[in-house]
Amino acid sequence: MSRAMCMTWRHSSRLFSCCPLPFTSPLLLAPSHFHYIIPDIIVSHHHSHLLSSFTQNPSSQSSIMESSPPHHQQNESNGTHNISKKSKPMLISESDLRFEFSHHDPSIARINNGSFGSCPASVTAAQHHWQLLFLRQPDHFYFNRLQPAILRSRTLIKDLVNADHVDEISLVDNATTAAAIVLQQIAWAFTEGRFQRGDAVVMLHYAYGAVKKSIHAYVCRAGGQVIEVPLPFPVNSNEEIVDEFRRALMRGKANSGRVRLAVIDHITSMPSVLIPVKELVKICREEGVDQVFVDAAHGIGCTDVDMKEIGADFYTSNLHKWFFCPPSVAFLYCRKTPETSPELHHPVVSHEYGNGLAIESGWIGTRDYSAQLVVSDAIEFTNRFEGGIEGIKKRNHDGVVEMGKMLASAWGTNLGTPQEMCASLIMVGLPVSLGISSDSDAMKLRKHLRENFGVEVPIYYRHPKDGEVNPITGYARISYQVYNTIDDYYKFRDAVNQLVSDGFTCALFPK
Amino acid sequence: MDSDRGENGDSSHNHVSKKPKLSAFISEEEIRQEFSHHQRGIARINNGSFGSCPASIIAAQKEWQLRFLQQPDDFYFNHLRKGLLESRTVVKGLINADSVDEVSLIDNATTAAAIVLQQIGRAFAQGKFQKGDVVVMLHCAFQSVKKSIQAYVTGAGGSVIEVQLPFPLTSKEEIVSEFRKGLEKGKSDGRHVRLAIIDHITSMPCVVVPVEELVKICRQEGVDQVFVDAAHAIGSVPVDVKEIGADFYVSNLHKWFFCPPSVAFLYCRKSPLSSEVHHPVVSHEFGNGLAIESSWIGTRDYSSQLVVPSVLEFVNRFEGGIEGIMMRNHEIVVKMGEMLAKSWGTNLGAPPEMCASMIMVGLPSRLFISSEEDAMRLRSYLRQHHGIEVPLHYQAPSDVEGGPKDKDGLVTGYARISHQVYNSFDDYCKFRDAINQLVEQRRSCKMLFME
Repeated sequence: MSRAMCMTWRHSSRLFSCCPLPFTSPLLLAPSHFHYIIPDIIVSHHHSHLLSSFTQNPSSQSSIMESSPPHHQQNESNGTHNISKKSKPMLISESDLRFEFSHHDPSIARINNGSFGSCPASVTAAQHHWQLLFLRQPDHFYFNRLQPAILRSRTLIKDLVNADHVDEISLVDNATTAAAIVLQQIAWAFTEGRFQRGDAVVMLHYAYGAVKKSIHAYVCRAGGQVIEVPLPFPVNSNEEIVDEFRRALMRGKANSGRVRLAVIDHITSMPSVLIPVKELVKICREEGVDQVFVDAAHGIGCTDVDMKEIGADFYTSNLHKWFFCPPSVAFLYCRKTPETSPELHHPVVSHEYGNGLAIESGWIGTRDYSAQLVVSDAIEFTNRFEGGIEGIKKRNHDGVVEMGKMLASAWGTNLGTPQEMCASLIMVGLPVSLGISSDSDAMKLRKHLRENFGVEVPIYYRHPKDGEVNPITGYARISYQVYNTIDDYYKFRDAVNQLVSDGFTCALFPK
Repeated sequence: MDSDRGENGDSSHNHVSKKPKLSAFISEEEIRQEFSHHQRGIARINNGSFGSCPASIIAAQKEWQLRFLQQPDDFYFNHLRKGLLESRTVVKGLINADSVDEVSLIDNATTAAAIVLQQIGRAFAQGKFQKGDVVVMLHCAFQSVKKSIQAYVTGAGGSVIEVQLPFPLTSKEEIVSEFRKGLEKGKSDGRHVRLAIIDHITSMPCVVVPVEELVKICRQEGVDQVFVDAAHAIGSVPVDVKEIGADFYVSNLHKWFFCPPSVAFLYCRKSPLSSEVHHPVVSHEFGNGLAIESSWIGTRDYSSQLVVPSVLEFVNRFEGGIEGIMMRNHEIVVKMGEMLAKSWGTNLGAPPEMCASMIMVGLPSRLFISSEEDAMRLRSYLRQHHGIEVPLHYQAPSDVEGGPKDKDGLVTGYARISHQVYNSFDDYCKFRDAINQLVEQRRSCKMLFME
């Protein structure tokens, strides 16, 4: 094992010294600069021992399998570089990075990290280790391994997001589940008469479709009313959003109604805009809104996520979108207050019912919890990059802005937001000649780009306002993540240019 | 991957038939290979709690997972729903449901309980049911189901009646008569019994309940809805949902049907109730029927739900397919149970015809199991010091008759042993000898220490 690692280190260092890693500029990632190292040497140094352990050697099997998952053993490995336990690990090389995402379909320009995220090979390998532990001896896993591992993940997240107590952090499948949890509690309050019929829940018009349905299912069914905050798009400044939000709160409070809950996206999905949540939360407090729930599906690993700064009562973010975890895992933060916090429950009730949401969520029947157990491995992965997750966020942001401007310039269009109102996603206007005139057109164009040009990118249809001349009605939501290269965006640029020069319009799609 | 399954599509659409096999059945060695990831040195006789999954299914699952990671958008738009529909169609065939719309895939029986009981809770909240209307369940219902009732029924104003399951027992009539009594109680004072929750195979203590008969009684007595919690059923007893006749029927596929953790099906008989049940996690498909709602509840790993067709292939490598497996599991677990009871001088908890692939075997009274804690302590001891994984049940002596006795006293502890295709005779010998050793050494539960 150590020999393989020595070779890995030597190769990385050679690469590192001859091709200085351009981590300050996201652009110099054109594949031609780097050659691929023969894969069997490139075995991720954390996990080479894992691969060898899958041979049927009884004596090694129990010792390896019973040992802690890989990340605990990292500090024992050395290679030619004496990495003391205190010093930072070697920065990831370009070829290591390629290996980590070598499972991505190479024929696709993958610029939709926002929808489903991405997961590096080393984290997947760590996940497999946990899955195998369960299959090997599930009772032992259940009684002795699972809960401490979940607690470890929750503790790491607590530190990442600056929460006060680990009790405030629950792990759930995804933001959709978190929304169900928060809204279920609101529904109960209506049913039990603590909220009155007609009390309002305020949400953004661009709230995620699933969350909207959840709000309607839980709130309207129980007698509450829903107020949507219209948001301008394209948007030019935070003030536009703040103004609309204030107005919506006023509507909710009209006729001495109460606004019981505000659901605020940290980064809206479609169209994607970075919302000034801290300011909106402050306004909610000033205006006497009972509870504030921030839906930050795109949050951690993408923008700054500080629970105390933001000050919401509930905050959820997916870790599989921008934090390199496998599908799927999210955290739901529930602020602990001296006053009685509303009682939240996981909708799937199991043995732990009544022991607090975090504990309830730690066991909701037999299932695969492994995605929740590799948070430490994801953190370790981010620490192989210069600046860790902060460095990644910054470079992603700079990269996506640069690529967005490049595309808008090439197509003669505009960006949907100013660059300070985006994180690692940006909306780029598509040429008017494409004739995107409905949601259906947007979906078909997206499919066309996937199937005929090998570009994966979500397209948004923007309904034009009355009186607009030659409006841009289609926007692409491009993303930038560590595995992207400039070629991905050139491919997209060229595909659209070709469509335009071919005279293509969405009217040509069969009905 | 089963890429030709899509084109042929035949095996998943027919009622499950035993295809004539040209090649030999799976060999002993192949079975060992399929379960070689099980920890060596452990006598694994608790298939009931967490199930088991063969290596070829794990491999099939990984293919699905990889497909998602490779190009998740393509997976979501072009492969996921088709794959789920195939799985649901296989299940429909296995359980003799009328329509695939009646079959939803969810994580586990616990989730199914939440779905059914949330619907009941809403009915109370909306005034469709009156406060005090009754939900009837077995007293030994699974703990998570009991808590679900607490959360969704009692909280909403419903009341609960628990039917005592006699144990040990000698015939199904004992269960039927207790159940009738429970329904009578539920209907007293002009109340309605809105829901009966009946286990097909109870967890602890483990017996096969005569569900068809109980459902018939429910219909005769005007119970609104019947929910059968059959967590252990599929792959363990034949399941015909039309014969059983319940409104809701759930079974885990990862316990006895070789699926990876975790996947279960919830059958909802087509009725006006169908539009009232919803998945608790509301997503884009809300309102399109439970089966469609369940097929997308946000981004997550659906791979365990996608390998059901592969499992059908796996079980068909055995003689008699899943029916053959069920029959052999039953025969052997009864034989092993009788062997242990004879060796220890104890009794079985239920007659063989009330068992499927698990059986309750009395533990020697000399172990002095006198509480749940004692049973847990002994279980942990067996795991740590003898490499035996087996769940143990404490059965308090009944006031009236006391209970079965061995030569030294009252039998108050039972082991729930299981048999699945990977088990060997040695597993049970190991257990037999460990208990005999404890008895010889005159060690009772309270004397056992954990590390």
